[in-house]
Amino acid sequence: MSSALPTRSAPGNLRGRRIIAAVASARAWIFLLLLLVVFEIWSQIAYGSTFIFSSFNIRSVAVFAVAPVLLGLGQTLVIISGGIDLSVGFTMGLAAVIAAHVANDVGAFAGAPIGLLAGVVVALAATLIPGWINGLLIARLRIPPFIGTLGMYGVARGAAYLFAGGTTVPVDNSWLTYLGNGRILGIPVIVIVTVIFVALVHYLLSETQFGQYTYAIGGNRQATLRAGVNVRRVTIILYMLSALTAGIDGILYTGRFAAGAPQAGEPLLLDSIAAVVIGGASLFGGSGTIIGTIIGALIIAVIQYGLVFLNVEPFWQFIAVGLVIIVSVLVDQSQRRFGGGRQDE
Amino acid sequence: MERRSVIGGLGLGLAGAATLLSSSRARAEGKAFTVALIPGLTTDAFYITMHRGAAAAAKALGVNLVFQGAPSFNAVEQVPVLDAVIARKPDALLIAPTDKVQLIQPLQAAVSAGIPVITVDTYIGGGVYQTGSGNADFPLSYIASNNTLGGQMAARALAKAIGGKGKVYVSNVQPGVSTTDERQDGFIDEMKKSFPGITVLNTQFNDDDANKAASQSQSVLARNSDLAGIFGANLFSAMGAANGLQQGGAGGKVKVVAFDAPQTIIGNIKTGLIDIAIAQHPAEIGWFGVAAAYAHLTGQSIPPAIATGFTVIDKSNVDDASIQKFIYAS
Repeated sequence: MSSALPTRSAPGNLRGRRIIAAVASARAWIFLLLLLVVFEIWSQIAYGSTFIFSSFNIRSVAVFAVAPVLLGLGQTLVIISGGIDLSVGFTMGLAAVIAAHVANDVGAFAGAPIGLLAGVVVALAATLIPGWINGLLIARLRIPPFIGTLGMYGVARGAAYLFAGGTTVPVDNSWLTYLGNGRILGIPVIVIVTVIFVALVHYLLSETQFGQYTYAIGGNRQATLRAGVNVRRVTIILYMLSALTAGIDGILYTGRFAAGAPQAGEPLLLDSIAAVVIGGASLFGGSGTIIGTIIGALIIAVIQYGLVFLNVEPFWQFIAVGLVIIVSVLVDQSQRRFGGGRQDE
Repeated sequence: MERRSVIGGLGLGLAGAATLLSSSRARAEGKAFTVALIPGLTTDAFYITMHRGAAAAAKALGVNLVFQGAPSFNAVEQVPVLDAVIARKPDALLIAPTDKVQLIQPLQAAVSAGIPVITVDTYIGGGVYQTGSGNADFPLSYIASNNTLGGQMAARALAKAIGGKGKVYVSNVQPGVSTTDERQDGFIDEMKKSFPGITVLNTQFNDDDANKAASQSQSVLARNSDLAGIFGANLFSAMGAANGLQQGGAGGKVKVVAFDAPQTIIGNIKTGLIDIAIAQHPAEIGWFGVAAAYAHLTGQSIPPAIATGFTVIDKSNVDDASIQKFIYAS
């Protein structure tokens, strides 16, 4: 492949290279902007109404993005460290079912607020178990992340269905449903909760030593080990964080739909990975940002919502999201190649 | 309100007890028959309810009932379960085949092993058995509710709720699933035929993702401020659509009809999030499945098709004692 790339060492192409690098690093933003502009023009021409300057539409897109964003947060951390977490979908379902049961049972005698609190605490504590086991399998027993978390995918799935008795668990807790459907100053509560966790994880990744270690492990595990970093511990914590954000996602789902569904996160797993990749993270590890993942999730949400809004035949949604992923990775690859990138072949 | 979770908990316990009872109670006068029931998937309130009905019939008739299935609805996972069940040689087999074509050969193997086959809920080939045509007419009977009819009933109920005019659409899982396709077709045909004042918009497919279904209903609502109703063709389609309306501030204004009646839908009817549920009778399917198998095994003839009914549940009757048996529960 690279034999057909004479530009690699040509000095005159420095400017071109810089432009490509700039485009590549901002590609998620550019995609999102292009999408919004196209949808706005389309909507104005076809229906004479606005697409983006509507608080209803903005709120709808934000609410839709909550679930993939929260799964994507943990997934970004894990992917930056060179791993992947396939179990998040059913960890989310497990948390949803446990939160529903505990909120019902505790709420029945202790009132809705205590029921909500107990549901949140127990569900999050429970998600730490699959997260911890994932971390152990991968960090200590050196099982490839793809396989280890695939195993946990099955275990968490079975556990969630067992707890739920094979079906969805209806929730009767007014505080939990407020968490899922309430609004503060017009902003949905689930969006506020999500923004808080986005800020926390963004801070963790970009401002702390732990964040630096995460990039370092993904960039070069061996070198990080030699530098004296406790790679095992960091890796275990990363998978526990991934499970935790999935757990938060599950709790919000339960509140929103007033039901704990074991399969709540099943269709979201691929959306979360797509968001991370569109957002600029490399599946080889070492690069990626939380903001990128948020933009990636928003791109998916805008496509899903916008194409329905524009009354496009539903199957185009799949094609559109698929194309964005392919183009996004292509831009990334060409940047690495032209920029003399690290991990080409 | 608290009653709901108590009923759920009780139901779980009862299912276990019922299974134990049915298998320990053999007929004194002779050999007890063993009937296997293989659902489309084990993790679904519909099939769990079907099991409940089957267990009731098994207990009444002194039949051993075996319930084994795969965790998700596809042929690749169902066929190994089927093979394992055939290997244990039950006297008769009730199965909800997960594919019209792919299950023909595996079920033929059951018949070759001397095990009579009855299909429940779904079918193989064209679903018309014992006619001598085609290679998939060998099952003895097809016991199910008519999903096209269910879709028509959903259309009538929704049309009545919205006063016969306005825009509606179907929130559906994905194309190519026979049962949900039939519900959708029945709904759309009935709307076009009998309710000229109602416009049916594009169907929205959500991949069984409530989040996606919610986003779609918000989007359709934003596009069509005169949206009057939504037909959710399965649990997550209805649940998601209803939540989208709630998030969009149109909860209660736009009517939602749900297909099937698991606890979650019933809860939503009580809170007003969902207006109407078209309940199938899965327990009835299970009961008549076992009864038909027993009739065949004891030398009686059985009809090649048994159609089970529907019940329309809304706020006015959801608490009636006579309705409770139609709510899906183990």
